[in-house]
Amino acid sequence: MRVGFYVEAATMDPHLSGSKIDRQVYHNLFEPLLVLDTKLQIKPGLAESWSQPDPKTIVFKLRQGVKFHDDTEFDAESVKFNFDRMQNPETKSLRTGEIANVQNAEVVDKYTVKLNLKKPDAALLATLTDRAGMIISPAAVKKFGADLQRNPVGTGPFQFVEWVKDDHLSLKRFDGYWNKTGGPYLDGIRYRPIPDDTVKTQSLVGGEIDVMDYVAPRDVAMLKGNANVQEVDVESLATFNYQLNTTRAPFDKKELRQAVAYALDVTAIVKGVWLNVGVPSNGPIAPSSWAYDSSIKPIQRDVAKAKELLKAGGKPDGFTFNCITNNIPINVQEAEAMKAQLAEVGITMEVTLVDSARLAADQNARNFDMTSYQWSGRPDPDGNTFQFFKTQPGSGVNFAGYSNPKVDEILDKTREVSDQAERKKLYSELVKILQEDMPWIFILHPIEPKAFSPKVQGYDPIPDGMIRFKDMWLK
Amino acid sequence: MGTLISRRLAAMIPVLVLVTFGVFALIHLTPGDPIDAMMAESYDPAAKERIRLELGLDQPIHVQYVTWIGKVVQGDFGRSIRDNQPVIENVSRRIGVSLQLALFAMVISLAVAFPIGILSASHRNSPIDGFGTMFALFGICMPNFLIALLLIYLFGVSLRWLPISGYVAPADGGVLGTIRSLTLPAVTLGLALAAVVTRTLRSSLLETLNEDYVRTARAKGLSEQLVIRRHALKNGLIPVVTVLGLQFGSLIGGAVITEYVFALPGIGRLVVDSVFSRDYPLVQGVILLIAIGFVLCNLLVDIVYGWLDPRIRYG
Repeated sequence: MRVGFYVEAATMDPHLSGSKIDRQVYHNLFEPLLVLDTKLQIKPGLAESWSQPDPKTIVFKLRQGVKFHDDTEFDAESVKFNFDRMQNPETKSLRTGEIANVQNAEVVDKYTVKLNLKKPDAALLATLTDRAGMIISPAAVKKFGADLQRNPVGTGPFQFVEWVKDDHLSLKRFDGYWNKTGGPYLDGIRYRPIPDDTVKTQSLVGGEIDVMDYVAPRDVAMLKGNANVQEVDVESLATFNYQLNTTRAPFDKKELRQAVAYALDVTAIVKGVWLNVGVPSNGPIAPSSWAYDSSIKPIQRDVAKAKELLKAGGKPDGFTFNCITNNIPINVQEAEAMKAQLAEVGITMEVTLVDSARLAADQNARNFDMTSYQWSGRPDPDGNTFQFFKTQPGSGVNFAGYSNPKVDEILDKTREVSDQAERKKLYSELVKILQEDMPWIFILHPIEPKAFSPKVQGYDPIPDGMIRFKDMWLK
Repeated sequence: MGTLISRRLAAMIPVLVLVTFGVFALIHLTPGDPIDAMMAESYDPAAKERIRLELGLDQPIHVQYVTWIGKVVQGDFGRSIRDNQPVIENVSRRIGVSLQLALFAMVISLAVAFPIGILSASHRNSPIDGFGTMFALFGICMPNFLIALLLIYLFGVSLRWLPISGYVAPADGGVLGTIRSLTLPAVTLGLALAAVVTRTLRSSLLETLNEDYVRTARAKGLSEQLVIRRHALKNGLIPVVTVLGLQFGSLIGGAVITEYVFALPGIGRLVVDSVFSRDYPLVQGVILLIAIGFVLCNLLVDIVYGWLDPRIRYG
């Protein structure tokens, strides 16, 4: 199976990974303790079952007879080893924050592991369905040290073969895979980064690759009409928005934030810029999530209201602000559309185009009035809300500097309550407050289209956008 | 000749120091650092600070520069921040692809430019010359990515003769596989270069054909073909060598767009990616190596000059 990526992977060490593309490979190479089904419900992974004797304890019963690709055995010790590694400052793991509420992992017996929590965390189980829950072979960590990121060893259906940077990364079927039902059917997977969208699309049409992990909105219609391609629209958890700097003028005034929101025609932006490859959003939680409240509508454009809000905010003639955004075509188009819409109510938006590293630097330094912010999303709504809207001493990723005691209280509660219906109510309440406070301008929840050659069979889309090849095959 | 070479080699050192310092200053002064680039999705201020201290990014920039250059002089180019691989290894893995591409493009451009340039010059102001001038203009004006996409549609998608993207190493697909995978990108680069070479060759040949010794050769009754081949071509080549020398250097480091479009793992793409990820050691190392390559190319051009025109052999 030949896969075309839009960008090169960064590292093969799940504990160090900070980019989404890496996860596409991980989900075939490693296995998390828990997995997601197509409805985003949590199912057993490397852990056969789990129980919560009290809100601060989770006990995992592990699968037996599971082997890592280096033929060492998976057991409670290896789980503990991975948690210790993520928590060790020496590792410089990017997972540390995700498992911040875990006090420690404790081996109960060979196949039972207990997580002791600092405080209740309803989102933790969902976190363990991805990188933080993936178990790396302890033997490989000891053997490779810093070179582990080029020599990954997991328990997944495919094992690592080689990685030639910017050229290809290949996996082959793991014959010692524990799960004998279904696949893996494929002999191997070969991932290739093809940065140019047009070339990648043509490579698929021309039969040079079998899978495209991402289709640009402008190519979707073309591929839909092509007989040599199956195009699948996959709902995502992602949320593409703008954060407003609430710590300084002009956006320290709620009315001016609202004025911007009501001056924008999000429906037109989703249609004109994103070509409807996505839906206007009402807040940070995507429609594919169980916590999405469809009764709350996205903000509709209302020019009269925007002008009133400008008056109330003390800027009846409008004002000027700067927006930093990534220098990629679709972001540029989006910024242009917003600029034009805002100009109609007298608001001037000055756009600065920067590359990702500069964008991150400016965001961390809060050196902006408005900044584009694209988040790939997490299966639990906590991952799309808590870190962004909770009052933070530093900036974290709450670049907006938003702080509202009521919101803090709701967010804390969403972690303590484990009943889904009750959590959903809390999230609805949160979204309503966010629509009033407007620390962010919510634009859209993108659809993540995937495209395959007609030979590809057995794809079952999960809204996290990751392609799991275990049960897929080529006709 | 020996003194020429040693003098030129000595002159390289200040150039390289200037280049390294310039690159160092530029990449470090550009907002954003490797940690910003790495932590696109996950963010933990404490972790960030730790990494920064570990990489010595808290030191003043001149201290960082001196530390780096001190190691480079000993042949230690450091390790990439992103993948922890030695910079030299990163470069050596890719330089082969870039060199093959540059040479292939060069061959294509010469194969195209020589006949057109010579015909244009010898049939001045004829329809042939008109075609040559048009071709050169087209090649110079067409942006690389456009040529690339046109070639992809024509030979990759419609005719299915050649692969659209990616590189096949000789070990994987044999030499023929490598040549096939590099054909479209080499033609893309070669056409643009051919245009420049054609124009240079045409004008320098025209100049040479007006020289006294050419008139003498013609007066002796030599055929026009022999006049050009024996007498005019060698002298007419001097500016072409200059162009080729300069272009070869930029082909190695400057085939960025072509490498991106065709998804080739070359040095140009490495430079751009390392700039985007602010991978300081990698950027500095790669640019320094490219600069050395450039300077050596220029030296080679001067040596070839001496061979073509004895009057240049000062020294």
